Amino acid sequence: MDKTTQVLLIEDNPGDADLVRLRLIEGKSPVNVNCVNRLADGLASLAQQTPSVILLDLNLPDSHGAETFRRVMEQAPNVPVVVLSGQDDEALAMKAVHLGVQDYLLKGDISSKHLERAIRYAVERQGLLRALEITQKQQMEFKNQFLSHVSHELRTPLTCIHQYVTLLLDGLAGAMAPEQSDHLKTVLKSVNQLHAMIRDLLEATRAESGKMRIEPRCVAIGELVQQAVAMLRPTAEEKKVGLEIGVDQRLPLVLADPDRVLEVLINLVDNAIKFTPAEGSIIVRANLVETDPGHVYISVSDTGRGINPEAKALIFDRLYQDADAVDNNRSGLGLGLFICRAIVRLHEGRIWVASEPGQGSTFTFTLPVYSLAKLLAPIVAHKGHLRPAFVLVRVDLAPLSNPPRGNWKETWQQGLEILRRCVYLDKDLVLPPMVASGAAESFFVVASTDLLRSGVMTTRIREQLERVAEVKGKSKITITTLPVELPPAKLEETLEQQIQTVADCVTEMILASRERKQLHAGKVARETKSKKSTNSKEN
Amino acid sequence: MQKAKILLVDDDPDLVRALRLRLRANNYEVATASDGYAAIASAQKEHPALIILDLGLPVGDGFVVLDRLQNIDSLAGVPVIVLSARDPQANEERALRSGASAFFQKPADNDELMNAIRLNIGLGTEQKAAWPS
Repeated sequence: MDKTTQVLLIEDNPGDADLVRLRLIEGKSPVNVNCVNRLADGLASLAQQTPSVILLDLNLPDSHGAETFRRVMEQAPNVPVVVLSGQDDEALAMKAVHLGVQDYLLKGDISSKHLERAIRYAVERQGLLRALEITQKQQMEFKNQFLSHVSHELRTPLTCIHQYVTLLLDGLAGAMAPEQSDHLKTVLKSVNQLHAMIRDLLEATRAESGKMRIEPRCVAIGELVQQAVAMLRPTAEEKKVGLEIGVDQRLPLVLADPDRVLEVLINLVDNAIKFTPAEGSIIVRANLVETDPGHVYISVSDTGRGINPEAKALIFDRLYQDADAVDNNRSGLGLGLFICRAIVRLHEGRIWVASEPGQGSTFTFTLPVYSLAKLLAPIVAHKGHLRPAFVLVRVDLAPLSNPPRGNWKETWQQGLEILRRCVYLDKDLVLPPMVASGAAESFFVVASTDLLRSGVMTTRIREQLERVAEVKGKSKITITTLPVELPPAKLEETLEQQIQTVADCVTEMILASRERKQLHAGKVARETKSKKSTNSKEN
Repeated sequence: MQKAKILLVDDDPDLVRALRLRLRANNYEVATASDGYAAIASAQKEHPALIILDLGLPVGDGFVVLDRLQNIDSLAGVPVIVLSARDPQANEERALRSGASAFFQKPADNDELMNAIRLNIGLGTEQKAAWPS
């Protein structure tokens, strides 16, 4: 070591600290010791500068045991840590080594030479580890690029095969004998399988490289379950497998990307059908769990042969393949559940499986409940009191042509972005978009102001929206404002209850306003309405 | 009634042959081009009602073609459907922003593609009235 070694010593016992400092200075190489006696001070120091090594006592006045090194490593993941351990907690020090600490020293047993060597080795090892990580990251990037390139190249010949097979099947190249047509249908089935695999390959690559994106909306999960089941019912019927829905009618709305969640549901139900023998049955449930009111639990249960315990731990991993499934020609790349897990995690939910061999399996995932009260809390209250008045602003963007011209999604997203910039961050809130009932998008803003003064804001919104040619040229903008009429507050109500009341009121107003718009939509609108109004009570 | 003409731009001759057959079966007249340069020349000569455009093309890729089309007055209003093997996440927005009306990744569903063609050809004629340019 030709440079001065910068040591951060986090130790609360002054005697131990002095001893370690003395031993460090006694050593041959130049050192600079910065000693602090609390974890908080250590973390503050790490935020300022990066030492060569951290010497860490695990039991400090403000932190104990494993928590101490966990927090240090969180703050400075690339700095080697050597734990200073008392005789009585060597087991803990050993555990720390397993969790990524470079070394540990017993306090009663520290010599200069010993300490110097421990530090040198810790620094070297950490450096090697870092180099390894960088290489691994480069390899991962290369692999992901390669996969994305391959999946593109595979599509070109696949497209050609697909086009000619469908050409023949559609009779565009002359009539086909029934038997020939049957054979070609088999080819088409394989083409579609291959297509799905290429898609999965790209999705998994995206999930792994963190490029997967979600666009959360306010979603009735029951509708997605129905959609997924409807799509897969023919497959289930063909295999003579029952497919039921058990969705709690009084479920709150969830905050989720509807397309992505549908993908998860389709994947789980499709898997369930694959692994359930004829005459078996599958049920898709969605419900609340008392112990976890912040999430909706969605599960897919089958009466298949179940999953053995070893497989349960691996089943969500990339490329996991059930050995029996391969034998039985139930093909796939083993990426489906990996992709499902990535999607669920992006929603900050969890996914797991419960199963006994021979008893069937239940896959469950969770999605966060859409809680308007939680979103509203920071803006409707000020210094512990509810603000005096609120209005609900509804901004409709309807495409001028049907179907919309160009990229309608980009147009309304741009509109939403503008809307977000038109409000006061501390007093107003643009609500997450609801699932649109058609091409038109409705956005809602809760603003802490009264009807009289809201005019300033709505004028600003209109001006800003119209300034952008993309929005103005492609959509009809309608802005309506209504006061939020709260019931008189009761004296004994907590602020939390008052915020809940605002949230309930706003929810009612939104649902009522959506209903008016959907009146002409007939039966579908009424169905959604009854479902949503039960939701609002739950919310 | 006169058939609507579609310009099909793709550098894979086998795919062009199959798609041409399908488009003709759907009662369209078809012109073809296999590179970016030929695509512009052909569009100017043929005045198609719609263009189906691949992105990976020799002599000026699909984006160059989109850009040129936007800058030629007589062609700026012609709807373009991009049909490409490229990843939509990286290319769809860019294509739509460059003036395409729709993006399909290969292999595309035939019914969906034919639907988009029908809608966009309809829209193209409507647009001339509603969007004087």
